[in-house]
Amino acid sequence: MSQVALRDRSAFEQLYRATSAHLLGVAFRILSNRDRAEEVLQEAFMNVWNSAGGYNPGVATPMTWLINIVRNKAIDAVRSGKTERNSTVALDDEGMDVADADGLQPQELLDESLVKVNIDRCMSELNPSQRQALALAYYRGMVHTDIAAALNAPLGTAKAWVRRGLDKLKSCLEAAGLAA
Amino acid sequence: MNYLLPERLDRLAREYALGTMTGRAKRRFEKLLRDAPPAMHAVAAWQERFSVLAAGVPAMQPREQVWSGLEQRLFTPAKTAARGPLQWLWDLLSVRTLGSALAGIVLCVIVLRSQPGLVGLETPSETLPASYVGLLLDANGKPTVLANSRRHGRQMTVKVLQPLVVPAGKLARLWAFPANGAPFPVAVLPRLPAVKESVSFTLPDESEKLFANVGRLAVSIDDAPARPGDAPPAEFALSGHCVKLW
Repeated sequence: MSQVALRDRSAFEQLYRATSAHLLGVAFRILSNRDRAEEVLQEAFMNVWNSAGGYNPGVATPMTWLINIVRNKAIDAVRSGKTERNSTVALDDEGMDVADADGLQPQELLDESLVKVNIDRCMSELNPSQRQALALAYYRGMVHTDIAAALNAPLGTAKAWVRRGLDKLKSCLEAAGLAA
Repeated sequence: MNYLLPERLDRLAREYALGTMTGRAKRRFEKLLRDAPPAMHAVAAWQERFSVLAAGVPAMQPREQVWSGLEQRLFTPAKTAARGPLQWLWDLLSVRTLGSALAGIVLCVIVLRSQPGLVGLETPSETLPASYVGLLLDANGKPTVLANSRRHGRQMTVKVLQPLVVPAGKLARLWAFPANGAPFPVAVLPRLPAVKESVSFTLPDESEKLFANVGRLAVSIDDAPARPGDAPPAEFALSGHCVKLW
């Protein structure tokens, strides 16, 4: 990352080759569209090149920093796309199609991730709705109102589910010594 | 309200990092982030926690054009970048056509600024503004159709400024003329409404992909839909410049 900040193109390409597949996966989960996910990936790496000097290794790992850039851009893109769909007559339904190419749903992605970092047993204390709410927020970039609508629950309940999921995630990670 | 109380800050930071914070609350918190290092560290801690949730996301290999496009955007010779955002437009125009192009653009901007509702452009506070705008003139140079679409949109809205006669059994087709490349048919226009009315239709791809290098649009009146690769007709009922506003 420090080489990228020094405008080293070779280092930049190495960073891209090493991380782009994982980052595209993150963007794709939110956008459910490969073309748009690739656009977001490209925009994100434009940011990386232009703002690598602002990366602070004392604050975040490089991958966390990259995931954050990609995820924020994907969330912005999916929300601006929703604005456009809401303001036009003819709708395409790409944004509504939440089935992934590999068939993995948010809940399954959450399960996979928790197993990989070995906190699945700890997180199993959450009920299915709490897990689902957390998964929709993270993997789909949904806000509370979207989650409430998706899970057919009152807004306050959806907020409580997400809150409970986050509390549990924090305590499980701390118990596993994975994060402060 | 003291946002820096540890428990309150942690709650705000996680909402922000997760992406569930929106609107004014988000803007207020972003201001706090700029001014208060503890807020930045609280967000960073949650981002680190959330990164473990990405561990199970299957990788997807991006297509090679993502990297080549990135290289092109970042590392193309400075000469191109220094030429200004509208230089590509001037490249399209010969001295002879410069005057008519300017007239079309000025008229287009006047229409957009004075009556945004006329072309279906909502106020910026409500929706994204149109990016691509084409003002199509008839053979007498009279503005007939105003077309616009959002930068990453797949919808094109066509506003009828004066009647365009499409005989029964025929259809009106929109063509795009890229700066470097063969003209291509964009879409068959839907049945056009009355003057001052608009109609929208779905584009085959995002505007940015279709029109990024397009300097001119035209409408032909044809017997049957064109197939990909078909040559454009010899004559067009309407023709005009396509401008990227932002």
